[in-house]
Amino acid sequence: MIQSLLIANRGEIAVRIIRTCREMGIRTVVAYSQADRESLPVQLADAHVCVGPAPARDSYLNVRNLVTAGVLSGCDALHPGVGFLSENAGFAREVREAGLIFVGPDPEVIDLLGDKIRAKHSAQELGIPVIPGSSGSVTGAEEAMVAASSIEYPLIVKAAAGGGGKGMRIVRTPGELADVLVIASQEAEKAFADGTVYLEKYIENPRHVEIQIIADRSGNVVHLGERDCTVQQNHQKLIEESPSPVVTPALRERMGADAVRLLRGLGYTGAGTVEFLVKDGKYYFMEVNARVQVEHPVSEMVTGIDIIRQQLLAASDEGLEVRQEDVRLGAYAVECRINARSAGKVTQFMSPGGFGVRMDTFLYAGYLVPPWYDHLVGKLIVTGKTRAEGLRRMKRALSELVIEGISTNIESQKKIVSHPTFLKGDYGTGLLADLLKEGAL
Amino acid sequence: MDLKELYALMEKFEKSGLSEILIKKDGEEICLKKSPPVQVAALPPQTAHEPLRQPAAEPAQKHAADTEIIRAPLVGTFYRAAAPDAPPFVVKGDTVKKGKPLCILEAMKLMNEFQADFDLEIVAILVDNGNMVEFGAPLFEVRRL
Repeated sequence: MIQSLLIANRGEIAVRIIRTCREMGIRTVVAYSQADRESLPVQLADAHVCVGPAPARDSYLNVRNLVTAGVLSGCDALHPGVGFLSENAGFAREVREAGLIFVGPDPEVIDLLGDKIRAKHSAQELGIPVIPGSSGSVTGAEEAMVAASSIEYPLIVKAAAGGGGKGMRIVRTPGELADVLVIASQEAEKAFADGTVYLEKYIENPRHVEIQIIADRSGNVVHLGERDCTVQQNHQKLIEESPSPVVTPALRERMGADAVRLLRGLGYTGAGTVEFLVKDGKYYFMEVNARVQVEHPVSEMVTGIDIIRQQLLAASDEGLEVRQEDVRLGAYAVECRINARSAGKVTQFMSPGGFGVRMDTFLYAGYLVPPWYDHLVGKLIVTGKTRAEGLRRMKRALSELVIEGISTNIESQKKIVSHPTFLKGDYGTGLLADLLKEGAL
Repeated sequence: MDLKELYALMEKFEKSGLSEILIKKDGEEICLKKSPPVQVAALPPQTAHEPLRQPAAEPAQKHAADTEIIRAPLVGTFYRAAAPDAPPFVVKGDTVKKGKPLCILEAMKLMNEFQADFDLEIVAILVDNGNMVEFGAPLFEVRRL
């Protein structure tokens, strides 16, 4: 079992990991930047090591300092959290070579899943539905035309190394293809130092539905149902819920089985998420997030399973405590991400409470939110017997949440969870843009 | 040496910056060695699960008005010499020319020689040999020459 864990991350995910470690009797050492000296994880951890100045590239992305901090502070494992180096195969290798356990999948698996074309191939080989598209990368207009002839328009041009919407372009007619290809490739080259692109059918206004997986080395791969993350702004998720209003029990069973087969086939270990697009009752594999995700508490509240705990057990070769037949998906849970719209001092902070309410945050009154990092400052998660009950509770909990001194998206979240279209559950990833257009937010 | 003297010696040795001491006197031979403790320099070791509101202390170092503090540019193990049996690069009171080595910071099996950025005098050495230092930890108090 892991005795001592270096947490190479900050904010609410660092706090989240520390909490489970305390319950498991694991010593925690948190790596922090000079901007996070007064942060909650630094206060909560058993020990802390400063790994660099405020800019993330010199601290939370500083491989040498993070690995050295882990070794010299007597840790036997390292948890990368989310973002930063959590899906960096090179980092996972360095951690391993230094003799520490990397809490995540093997570097070879991270590498494969980081290449969107290879990941899609693997899914296809295992019989998982993928979005119709070019069978690999395309270079030049001629090749693109041939590949495009077998796909329905509109198309989307995507970067093989991509993410976050960069290097992604929609093509509505064959006439536009050649020009768009050049632009997308240049964009991809700039963003990822890799101009490789591929083509896919563009699925308009789909649902974004993902399956949470936990897996260990003995081949026990378990899914914890789905999360619907359709409410997004510029590819950033804002609200996540489970079960999804559009996933039927039959669909859930097929998507779950496919996600399990894919990650078992890849020899995946730890916590991971298989993302799908759902449209008109059909689903298509999109990608795998080879780490624990921000929205994991939604599945925890639905299943009663501590995902971080399972991740640590899987990493230390103890193996998962659950098998598929133990997983009960009954309750409803929903998460609203609380984002800061400005940095600065939190003058007042009050967390909501009461039945069925969970708040994961690193804020406290007097805390100075630094301007250097991600804008996520909290996650409010509530449960309910039904979606309607859960959403009423979310509205109530959001109205109790007080964060003063900085600007946040609390008011906007209240409007979304009260909006008739959202309550009805019938929408796609274009919902936010529509609400903004109609002036509802 | 009687036990009382021995205990007194042990206590003095424990507090000293020395890592090893060998005393030969009247046919007696006493050798004391310290195993390098793994500690974060300049930060008080925290006991497990302390109450909240214990922010990491700013590794501020009180120093005279005419001196300045040289801090660790990376996380690593602090060594005062190039090898265990080599003499230290600098001792208190030394004057050091710009570009001359002050210490070694070992990180991921790489020995990073850390040099003086300007001509200086060593006023104090703030870390014990073999200790871990975090980013920004005070290493030397120096006087600019």
